[in-house]
Formats: sequence, C-alpha cells, structure tokens
Amino acid sequence: MNAVRSLFRNPPLLTFVLVALVWLVASLTLHGFGAYGHLRYLLELAAVIGIVAAGQTLVILMGGIDLSVGAVITVTAILLPLLSPAWDPTGLAGIVLALAIATGIGVLNGAGAAYLRVPPIIMTLAMATFLQGLLVIVAGGSAVTVSNPAVILLGQARPFGIPAGVILWVVVSAAVLLLIHRMPIGARFLALGANPLAARLSGVSVTRNTLILYALSGFFAGLAGILVLGMNRQGYVGIGDPYLLTSIAAVVLGGTSILGGRGTYAGTIPGAILLVTTTALITVVNASPGWRSIMFGTLILALLLVSGREARR
Amino acid sequence: MTDATPLLEARQVFKGFFGNPVLKGVDIALRPGRVHALLGENGAGKSTLINLLSGALQPDSGAILVDGRPAGRFSPAAARAAGIAVVQQELSLTADLSIAENIGLGAFPRRFGLIDYAALHRGVREVCDLVGLIEPLDMPVADLALGRRQMVEIAKALYRKPRVLILDEPTSSLSAHEAGILAGLIGTLRDRGTALLYISHRLNEVQALCSHVTVLKDGGVTADQSLDGIDGEGLVRLMVGRKTGDLFPPRPAPSAGALRISVEGFSAGLVRNIGFSARAGEIVGIGGLVGQGQEDLLLGLYGAIPAGAGKAEVCGKPGLPAHVGAANAAGIVYVPADRKHEGLVLPHSIASNLILPSLGRLARGGLRDRAAETGLIADLARRLTIKGDVARPVQALSGGNQQKVALAKWLPLDPAVLLLNDPTRGVDIETKREIYLMLRAFAAEGRLVILASSDTPELVHLCDRVVILREGEVAARLSGDAITEEAIVGAAMGIDRKGAAA
Repeated sequence: MNAVRSLFRNPPLLTFVLVALVWLVASLTLHGFGAYGHLRYLLELAAVIGIVAAGQTLVILMGGIDLSVGAVITVTAILLPLLSPAWDPTGLAGIVLALAIATGIGVLNGAGAAYLRVPPIIMTLAMATFLQGLLVIVAGGSAVTVSNPAVILLGQARPFGIPAGVILWVVVSAAVLLLIHRMPIGARFLALGANPLAARLSGVSVTRNTLILYALSGFFAGLAGILVLGMNRQGYVGIGDPYLLTSIAAVVLGGTSILGGRGTYAGTIPGAILLVTTTALITVVNASPGWRSIMFGTLILALLLVSGREARR
Repeated sequence: MTDATPLLEARQVFKGFFGNPVLKGVDIALRPGRVHALLGENGAGKSTLINLLSGALQPDSGAILVDGRPAGRFSPAAARAAGIAVVQQELSLTADLSIAENIGLGAFPRRFGLIDYAALHRGVREVCDLVGLIEPLDMPVADLALGRRQMVEIAKALYRKPRVLILDEPTSSLSAHEAGILAGLIGTLRDRGTALLYISHRLNEVQALCSHVTVLKDGGVTADQSLDGIDGEGLVRLMVGRKTGDLFPPRPAPSAGALRISVEGFSAGLVRNIGFSARAGEIVGIGGLVGQGQEDLLLGLYGAIPAGAGKAEVCGKPGLPAHVGAANAAGIVYVPADRKHEGLVLPHSIASNLILPSLGRLARGGLRDRAAETGLIADLARRLTIKGDVARPVQALSGGNQQKVALAKWLPLDPAVLLLNDPTRGVDIETKREIYLMLRAFAAEGRLVILASSDTPELVHLCDRVVILREGEVAARLSGDAITEEAIVGAAMGIDRKGAAA
C-alpha cells in the first residue's frame, strides 16, 4: 500500500508505469502493436515531442510558457533548406544557421518577457502569429524539399537499428536533466518559478535567467524542427503546429506544475511517449481521430487528479 | 457621556497566530454616541482587535457581544447584519468600477434580478453628499486621487447605515480640507447615536475628536479611560512604558570602525533626499510609523528598487549598487520583512532555500558540488539551531525558524553589511532573543547591521544609533542615552521633544 502511495506521490514514475502498462496490455491484445518496428516508430515520434518539450519543461518550471514552439519548428523546417549553402557538402552550416535563428527567436521572446514585462503567454503568442505571417510571405503555400545531407541523415539513419532521432533525444534528455538537477541554473529556474520575488531578493537575476530560458526553448524547438524536416524530407507552413499543445501536454502529464517551481524533465519523457502511444492506440483500433483528443484531455485531468499535485499547493 | 448598553463589546478576547499571542485578554466597549480612540504602537494588536470586532477573525477565547448579547460565531456577514462597518487602512476599492458601484458593492439594490442603477445612484448620492464627494457617480475610482478614494471608502461604509463605525487611520491620505469634512461627519454621526472607534497615529486628531481612549500595549490594555485632561505627552506616556527584561544582550561600548555606507541626497521610493551614513561594527536602527520609507531605504541601498543619490559610497566603492547581484557581490545582503512572500521559496526545501544564494560559488566545473552543499547546509542548520530534516519544505517551519532560514542563507557570503527589515515580526520570544544575540555578534565581528524595526524596544535596547523616518524624511537621529521609547515615539508621530534633534 505504501508503495502505491509513494507511486502516486511521484508523478514521473506514475506516468512511466502507466506507459509500461499500456504498452504491455496493448502488445498482448492488439495485433502488431508490440512489434519491434512499431514500438521503435512510436519512440521516433515521441522524440520530436520530447525535444520540443525539453525547452517547454524549462520554461514552465520557471513559471512561464512558450506558445511559439510550433511556429519555431515551422520556421526552422522551411528556412533550413533555403539557407543551407551549396558549398557545404556536410550540411552542418545550414543546421548551425537554422539553430541560431531559432535561438534568436527565443532570445526575442525572453527579451520581451524580461525587459518589456510582456506576460510570456502574450509575448510568445504574438511571436508565433508574427512568424506564421512571415512564413506565408516567404514560403508561400508551397512545400520545400530538403537536400541537406546532415538533416536527412538525422531523420533517416538507424545506427545499430536505433533511429538517429531517438539517439538525439537521449542526448537532449541527459543534457536537460543535468541542467535541472546538477547545475546551479536549474535550481535558480525552480526558485524563480516558485517565488520570483524571493529569488530576486536572494540575488537570482530574473532578466538573465529569463533570457537564457527562452533562448533554450527556441533552441530545442529548432532542433525538433530539424528532426521533423529530416523525417518528412519536406518543410511546409503548419508542419510545427501539432507540437505546440502536445509539448505542453507532455510537460503536464509528467507532473510538472503548470504554475512553475516544481517538476522535472524526467516526467516529460514518459509524458511524451504516453501521448504518441495514445495516438497509436486510436489508429490501431481504427477509431475516429476525435477520440485521440478526447483521450488526451481525459488523461491529463485524470493524472492530475490521481496525484493531487495541483491541489496540494 | 452615555451609559447606554454598548453596541459592540469585546470581553477578555485572546488571539494568537502560529503560537504567538497577539491579544492577551482585551476588553473594549463601543457605546452609542461616543467616539472611542484606540491607540497603540505598531504591532500592539490594534489591527487584530479590529478584525475581531468586524468578524474577519475569530477570537481564540473570550466573547464578542452585540447589544450586550454574546454573538455566537461572529462572521463578517453577521457583523454587517449587526450594523458594523469598517473603513480599512488599505483601500478595499475596485479601481475599474465606478464610484457608485464601489459604494454599493455587495448591497446592490436589485430589480428583476438586475442592478437597479437608479436606486443605487439615489442612495449613493445621499452618502456622497455627507462626505463631500461631488465627482460624477459613474466615474471610475481609478481616476480619483488617493484622498478622494479614501472618501469613497468612507461613503461605502456609510451606505450601509452603520450603527458602529470603525475608522482605521482614515486621515492618513486625506488633505486638511477632507480631514475637516471627516471631523464634521464624525460629529454628526456621534450626535445621531452611532458608536465610533477611531484609530489614528495623529494624536492631535485623537484629542480633538475622541472622548474616550483604549491603549493597547503588547496585546494587553494599559489604559481604558476618559480623555479629559490628557495632553499629547500624556498619551505617549500611556503607549510606552514596560519592562524589557533580559531579552536584549548587553550593549558594548561604541567602537565604530570604517565607514561602510555614506549617502547624501538619497532618494528611493518614499524616501526623499536624505543623508545617511553607517560604520562597520554598528547596529543602526531605522524607526518610524509603518510605511514612512524604512523599507524603501533598505531596498534602495540593496539595489532592488531604483534609487538615486547626490553622493554615495557603499562598501568602499562610489555609487549605489545597480542591482541585487551587485549588492551581493559588494557584501550587502537583505532579509525582508515578509519572509513568506519575499524571503523564502516556501514550497521548496529548507536545504534549497539555504543554498540559493551560494549556488554559483559552490559549483565546480559548471556542476553543483553536492558534497560541499550538504556540508554547508548541515553547518548552517547547526549554527542557527534549525532542527529537523532539511529536506522538509520550509513552509512546515514555525515563523521563528523560517526567519532563521531567511537569515542563515546569507551567512556563507560573509556579508559586510546586513540590511534587516523587521526581522523579529511574528517571531516567538525565544527566537527573538537568539536573533538579537546573533545581530550583536555580527556587529562585534565588524559587520554593519542596519535594522529597520517596528518594535520600539528593539530600537532602544539593541541599536547603537537610531534614525527615525517620517514621510520619507529623517525626523530624528538618536544615539546613546538619547535613544528612549518616548523620543522614538514622539519623533515618529511628529511631536517635537527636547533631545530629539541630536
């Protein structure tokens, strides 16, 4: 009984156990769900959400939110093929350039929140709207095909049978977990999220940390954009849209408080997997896609209620 | 003077917060047709008593009587039903609503379930005429000056036709003209048989308006008498005067060291153009009534709010710290008065709170050094006798222990200047003593301690020098034997006394 109670007190573990249960039951009952190829495919999809949600987790930990991640993904996916210089056979220059733009967008978000005191939800929403408009003008309605070799490698390669995107996700996860739990800046993010005034009076710079945070969120969204582009081989307006709400859902499913100050990326990881698993289940049983959204909403509420994590504040 | 049954009465009420008694057996009786003054220093328990009388708080023991009959569970709704209205010190108006809507809020006349604006305006016009509000009734309160808003607040209380009216420092934001209107209004209400309770730090108002006084001191009643034949000094004497026991450590001979802080023409927030200097090894007290700029002085020196100075030298460097990080780097630390909102990250553990300012210094190669952190936390907990598991959230601690955490987290920085804002507010007596000893020890180690305090004995018995602020300016600078409760209270209230201008 105690084990069950401590499970409910530990949202990351709770979400992880839930994923394991769903995978186990679905593999045993549904034909084809448990095939290695299918599970690998799920992880590959989850990697994109997980990487976007890495930045989103950090922002939400500090009490903010980034509504521009979807637009940043789209920007990266469309601009990268256009920006990759022909003289660079590796394609790395294009990637660096695209990531720099994504990070720059994040810095602008941070500057708006830190210097102009625009609430993050407004700042990032305005940024997303602005970027979408800009893309329509730049790219028009047509899709851009990628020929950058590094991007295609990232989206298609499977060293030792493991998709490169999943490997990238593992690296991102290690870095973000290190940042939150082993670096001073992670503790500062959490303090700012729980009580910005007390943190500021304790010598934690709100401006500096806000800038870093949104820059990181932009960077991770850009990284996810490159991965999506490599997997699709095409970038088009709207390619990043599905990842905005799923990134927030993954964070919340992982037990991070939407109010800031409490949580960990360790919960977001199973949260992202749970989201794609739900989608896959709906597809496998051939139900209407409407059920997917209904399941998402129900899951988020149910997990919140079960662990009572918001109520205890 | 009337001998009628008191309309509202408190009998032997006790009230404590988190184990700290605030009211210890207080009696007060508000009679019809009498203006009753309630006096007491900051923290004497006035606000708590008002909250009990208006049903906002329940007494731990004792009784509230309405018309001589005990009121069972005395809720704010029951108080309103009994005709008790309070004009709060903090304005409780909604800025976006109109004057009429604010006044009628909660008691709107209805018609077919909708607000009957015609009836509302009729009723509101009546009370506005009483308080001299001539502005259009549909004007948003946000467009009014502070003093006019206070008049709206008073009109709001009158709109409910109260039998008992409690006025908590009603004149603090009023002009002389408005205060005159209020004085006339109070006379009218008194003659109509309303019972009034008047709280003010302006003793001349109290003498002019009130006929009876209750003085609170440390949660007890020290005087409950007619005001006939009592002058200003007599009132001050009633408010002061008590044994301090051995709460405070002995004060060593003054041995001020190097100049640590020297500012001229310093302005920050409420503070206007003051000069201030302090030396290493001193405990300098900042006194005055609540909200006269004490906090802004500390925050300005800490770089937490915009501040300017004609000439400034802080910790050997010219100029004021530009931001908190710069102040910390210069060895200046700040312990806020509101530890729950400003001092501590409540949901986080004791350990994370203690380590927060030291995170950067303890990191090695960009990563946190867990062993060093654990060692430091254990050391701090031991030195400040913070008991129990440091992984508990800090909100589980008592007020005194929370304050110790808020103070302890700065010790690893080896601060040269400690800015403390009311560090003993809501702290039990034992922890108070520990904090006093600690502050004395800091001074003996050659640190500068600047202590803003609303607790007068603390200023008298702990500080080497005391600066009294009044309306953002220095009202008095006291040192040595000139630091007395009478001198401090007198200067804070603006009563000229000999020796106050040393």
